[in-house]
Amino acid sequence: MKHQHKWMIQVLVALILCLAMAAPSCAAEKYKLALSLAITGPTSDAGAPYSKGVEDYIRYVNDTKMFKDAVVECPIRDDQYQTDITKRNFEEFLSDGIVLYLNYSTGSTLALKKDFEEEKIPVIPASFHAGNLEDSHYIFLPIATYSSQCIGLAEYIAANNKGGTPQVAMFIHPSAFGRGPVDDLKKAIAAGLKMDMVEVVEHGKDLDNTAMLQRLLSKKVRYVICQTVQSPVATLLKDAQRLGVIAKTFGEDGKLTFVGAHYTGGNDLIELAGSAAEGFYWTTSYTLTSEPGPGTDFQLMLAKKYSRDDKTANSHNYTNGMMVAQLAVETIRRVKAKNLKVTRENLYNELNAMNGANSYSPGNTVGPVTYSPTDHAGVDTLQIYSVQKGVFKAVGKPFVPKFAK
Amino acid sequence: MSSNRWFATGNFFSSYKAEQRIFFTHLDRTVFAVFLLALFVWPLCVELSNKYMLVLDNILIAMIAIIGLNLVTGFAGLISIGHAAFVGVGAYTLAFVARQLGDSHILITHAWPLMLVLCGLVGALFGAFVGLPALRLKHLYLAIATLSFQMIFQWTINFLPLFNQGQTIPIGRIYWFTGMVSRQNHYIFWYYVILTLVVLMGLAVRNLLRTRFGRSLVAVRDNDRAADAMGMHPGLTKVFAFALAGFFAGVAGALHAYLYRGAGIESFTLHQSITYLAMAIVGGLGTLTGSFWGPAAIRFLDLQVENMVEWSAHFLPATLNLATALKPLTFGLVIVLFLMFEPRGIANWWRICRTYLKLWPYRY
Repeated sequence: MKHQHKWMIQVLVALILCLAMAAPSCAAEKYKLALSLAITGPTSDAGAPYSKGVEDYIRYVNDTKMFKDAVVECPIRDDQYQTDITKRNFEEFLSDGIVLYLNYSTGSTLALKKDFEEEKIPVIPASFHAGNLEDSHYIFLPIATYSSQCIGLAEYIAANNKGGTPQVAMFIHPSAFGRGPVDDLKKAIAAGLKMDMVEVVEHGKDLDNTAMLQRLLSKKVRYVICQTVQSPVATLLKDAQRLGVIAKTFGEDGKLTFVGAHYTGGNDLIELAGSAAEGFYWTTSYTLTSEPGPGTDFQLMLAKKYSRDDKTANSHNYTNGMMVAQLAVETIRRVKAKNLKVTRENLYNELNAMNGANSYSPGNTVGPVTYSPTDHAGVDTLQIYSVQKGVFKAVGKPFVPKFAK
Repeated sequence: MSSNRWFATGNFFSSYKAEQRIFFTHLDRTVFAVFLLALFVWPLCVELSNKYMLVLDNILIAMIAIIGLNLVTGFAGLISIGHAAFVGVGAYTLAFVARQLGDSHILITHAWPLMLVLCGLVGALFGAFVGLPALRLKHLYLAIATLSFQMIFQWTINFLPLFNQGQTIPIGRIYWFTGMVSRQNHYIFWYYVILTLVVLMGLAVRNLLRTRFGRSLVAVRDNDRAADAMGMHPGLTKVFAFALAGFFAGVAGALHAYLYRGAGIESFTLHQSITYLAMAIVGGLGTLTGSFWGPAAIRFLDLQVENMVEWSAHFLPATLNLATALKPLTFGLVIVLFLMFEPRGIANWWRICRTYLKLWPYRY
């Protein structure tokens, strides 16, 4: 009996000790973010590394105890690129009490815009569609819009074209994501950007672009601005290579020079298009691991720390996800630094105040992140890259497109 | 029929009228009434998160759509592979009005019951039009004709600026007697609206199947020449079946647009049409109860598979995109298994359970 009594006391002591040890973690404050994106299904080739970028940076923040007494929680849900599922995920996150939401696609960002307004929750999407910002107060784009990127490419073409007005075609995705920049580029041309827009081609799921390429050549088109995802661009480039119509130098007469916005490029394009990607010009606001610097060193360290493969570690979409997580964490840090409670409203105010001396440089972008109540596009600066000997190399200095405003 | 209408254990009908009753026994009627009451009362007792309310609302909307699909495919035997397009017609009718008059126009926000009927009628109009080939075509050829409608619908929505080129067209918040239905009450409000419609439409179809027209549908399905010889009009019956299916689909589409507060093309693609067909097959083609079981089973399966896919995406190699393949694989497998082993669908399991319970405890 005495032995049994002793055993019970031991169990009780162990239980109290367990509870005491668990107490600090229970007491730790939690800042809840959430991400819904396509880990599977269409565009998952971009979504998967993006999610890993977010996941790794949040783990890093918690592992290094960046907030000492608090942790950042960021559940990630797969929405398979379907707005209905994104909506369901968003409702789930709201029930969990999130203070900032990370979204993904253009379609779902546009579809949930009214919900964001009603919930007054700051949102950072992976979509850089300019339309996201129309009639919206709570959406903050991490980098320059697709429109701005296409205008930046067009300005580069206009500045480097030799002989007359450049004849340009656009090769776009058949959705708002692809169509969005077309009108903005036309407006820039109307405002004085020296260029002729000859044709806008909405691609389908074509496996052969021969007829389209021949048509563009017959119309004296010299440049093709691509605003879509990597695989159709890879098909286009391979067809152009087969026909021998890829320009060997930028703007070569009688040939086609291909340029593209953020989601057309990256290492996946080189993998898909092979040697046909050589000479492809691409713009984004992110730094690349093929152009090493402090930001990319940190990225590679982070990927190594969490055992990511080389493909993920060097993906610009990994950078993209990481940067978005950095931006969210930095906003929380700034709110805390002001001894304010981490709420949706305070985060929203802090994001709007991120300009001038308060702008934020995450290290993996070619310019600072700046927001204001009237400007919700983050990094305004762009960098042109081109594929040289199988890797993307920077061309010239970072710049801000003049016609984008 | 037994004289005791509370505890009848067999089907002893003494007249055709008795055979046509909706509820064979008083017990059936009572159980149904209690079940209905429970469906209306449970939200007052249990608080479900918005996520699951959205899932429930979605299942109920799919039930309305599947009742329509079951009429045309299950009862009339006309394969329709474009049902999502009919649902889309309803959603885009509402979206069109919203785009022309403004998403917070009184027609959208206050006269929403009228809009539901209007969307249903437009759906019926399109249904009747698409049903015209049924006068000449059968089986696979008719399926291709409905598939064409699906393709034309998608193309039209995707490319016409009138429909925002497929991007979501927003729909404003609606009003009830108590004022604007707020975000907090949105899903629960629509739960009650959609549930009421499911009950009304379910009863309407149950009644319809007892009428001359309902019997014509089955007769035309089984042998249209024989039906013709018996004085029925197979052509009109088929077109009417399509129109009716279009009406149900149109109402479902409008409800979808109201629930999601917008209409976007990705909810009405061919994939969704196949899903509707799968719901009808899994639930049980040619049965009314199958129209309820199918959506519930497929949506439940969807949720489970989604969780499994998400979990597996963490360790399956991303380059092979195996996780992406899991969902269609599971989905396809379920359809094949049902077609092979239970072509009468879950409704048959339900029938077996009911028969067993009806005789229990006197099984012999």
